[in-house]
Amino acid sequence: MNIFVLNCGSSSVKYKLFDMKQEQVLAEGRVERIGQDNAVITHQPAGREKVSKTMPILEHTTAIRECLNLLTHPEHGVLKSVDEIDAVGHRVVHGGESFSDSVLINERTKEILDSLASLAPLHNPANVTGIRAAEKIMPNVPQVAVFDTAFHSTIPPYAYLYAIPYSVYQRHKVRRYGFHGTSHKYVSQRAAELMGRPIEELKIVSCHLGNGASIAAVQNGQSVDTSMGFTPLEGLMMGTRSGDIDPGAVFYIMKQEKLSLHEIDSMLNKHSGLYGIAGVSDMRDIEKRVAEDDKLATMAYKMFEYRIRKYIGAYVAAMNGVDAIVFTAGIGENTPSLRTALCTNLSYLGIEIDEEKNKIRGEDVEISTPNSKVKVFVIPTDEELVIARDTARLV
Amino acid sequence: MDIRKVAVLGAGRLGRGIAECAASKGYDVVLFSQGAGGQDALRRIEKSLDRKLAKWAITESEKRLILGRISYTLDLKELSKADLLVEATIDHFYTKQELLRTADHLCRPEVVFISTTSTLRVSDLARGINRTDQLVGLHFIPPVPDVPVAELVRGSQTDDAAVEVAKQFAARLGKQVVEIQESPGLVNPRTLVALVNEAAYLIDEGVCDAYQAEQIIKDSWGMTQGPLEMADRLGLDLVLSWMEQLQDEFGPRYAPCPLIRRYVRERRLGVKTRLGFLAYTEDDALITEHNSKQEGKRED
Repeated sequence: MNIFVLNCGSSSVKYKLFDMKQEQVLAEGRVERIGQDNAVITHQPAGREKVSKTMPILEHTTAIRECLNLLTHPEHGVLKSVDEIDAVGHRVVHGGESFSDSVLINERTKEILDSLASLAPLHNPANVTGIRAAEKIMPNVPQVAVFDTAFHSTIPPYAYLYAIPYSVYQRHKVRRYGFHGTSHKYVSQRAAELMGRPIEELKIVSCHLGNGASIAAVQNGQSVDTSMGFTPLEGLMMGTRSGDIDPGAVFYIMKQEKLSLHEIDSMLNKHSGLYGIAGVSDMRDIEKRVAEDDKLATMAYKMFEYRIRKYIGAYVAAMNGVDAIVFTAGIGENTPSLRTALCTNLSYLGIEIDEEKNKIRGEDVEISTPNSKVKVFVIPTDEELVIARDTARLV
Repeated sequence: MDIRKVAVLGAGRLGRGIAECAASKGYDVVLFSQGAGGQDALRRIEKSLDRKLAKWAITESEKRLILGRISYTLDLKELSKADLLVEATIDHFYTKQELLRTADHLCRPEVVFISTTSTLRVSDLARGINRTDQLVGLHFIPPVPDVPVAELVRGSQTDDAAVEVAKQFAARLGKQVVEIQESPGLVNPRTLVALVNEAAYLIDEGVCDAYQAEQIIKDSWGMTQGPLEMADRLGLDLVLSWMEQLQDEFGPRYAPCPLIRRYVRERRLGVKTRLGFLAYTEDDALITEHNSKQEGKRED
């Protein structure tokens, strides 16, 4: 079975084609700058040379059509015809309370997805545009929506409700939803496999640390709490996002700086986090500056580590124990010094790490020592594979 | 037709605001101006973006992207590449009509024209051009990027397709469009000048000073900017010319208060001269009542 996985943003499309027999990637690529004359398509057939071209692509249907042209191209393609695609899996950011699992797309699903646009105005409309575009090109191929929020639908109400008037939740569904669900699901399942134990008996803290970052408490294979909330702004300090902040401080800043809603929103989402403190948002730049003894970069690094540590501690408490901690995504996978700092500072949990293993990159690796009471893993995330698996399960 | 390149005629506050707003929403913008200060338009747009940057509303890279989408030219032949034309020049009938005629010859026939006129009739402007059915009135309020509403009027011959194009353009700019009947002054300029005129009479009669009037109106009605600051930012010369045009159209109820005439005569035009009803800094910021009260009283 061939599954075509699509992740559509407002001006980009990422794709991966899987042969599900061996869960093997046949090809992957992306289209960037959709809407412009100089859109760029890159296509990587497995084991062959990467292809890249620049051309005008004004909307998503054309972008997806171009991806399919490359997948069936006589020289660069991996399929003889589009008919060899059995199903399409779409990443959809927000499923609200309507979707607690991935779903086969029909007219009713699309109506509900349209109604969820206000919960994720930057992401969901683009995801739905991708669904409609794929349907137009492949009308007889089943389509599946896989939600970032679905994995967290098992969080109990006492953890997902905010302590504000209950009527606000009833009227506007304001609650914790959580994000990065497919990633947390993948790495926690993979950690259980690596431990050789059923996930149903494990307590795992999953740390997805990228430019956007979140932590999830995964107990018995189910998410029981996560750091991102109603929006992806809550929780950890991130590349440009503030993470947790006293709402009272927000009102005070707005008053003092005479800021509009748009301005404070932009400040907290785009000008804060590592960037807000150190002036750079990329962890590699932060590390470089820390090595040069830059005071603010050092402060940003310490804040970043401290906040992750606090959340790990909170989730160990939430689950009354922990069997494994998993690091994934750009920073989680590629910053050994951060993992060392975190694990050293969590020694009360009986964590010990093997510094040699901690340096290994690009593969699943257990970095804790055999004596460590808590297993620590670095697992490169594979959200597309989760989408492909869910799609295969539903069609 | 897919609209990607927007031509904006006029690089005054309105034209610059439309250019900045359109570029921030992804349009390529060509700004045309033959008037004084046109050359300075890009620098002033950059200044406006710097103010947004200072308020964290945009990022450094967003600023570069927006500026990169705007070009300035004196060469009207560039109009042949535009997918949509927005005319934002001063509300002078013959100036506007001549410019629209020129653009009519240079633009592709399918290109819809939008006029931002507030005191002239779209039907009258359309008479001078071939695309009578493709001229739509769309009145934005400055600062264009910040004001979420625009008034739309159609001329007697404007067709539905052209109106749809204008509505979609405004929607992408983040504006809620309210379509009203064609009438000089529309809703906003007519009601604003009435309010400004009455406030001017209050000041002229010594009932209150400009800062007191502004505070009472602004704070009572929950405005972020009161009518006197609005008038100062539009320019008191423009407000006076609106009043005169509306007086011609509707009679003495729009007769300007003598105080406004005096201010314009004294070149006390508002933000652009640092002093109007209220006083402003070099950076166009309103000087607070406390600091400027004395100056205001002395001038009044």
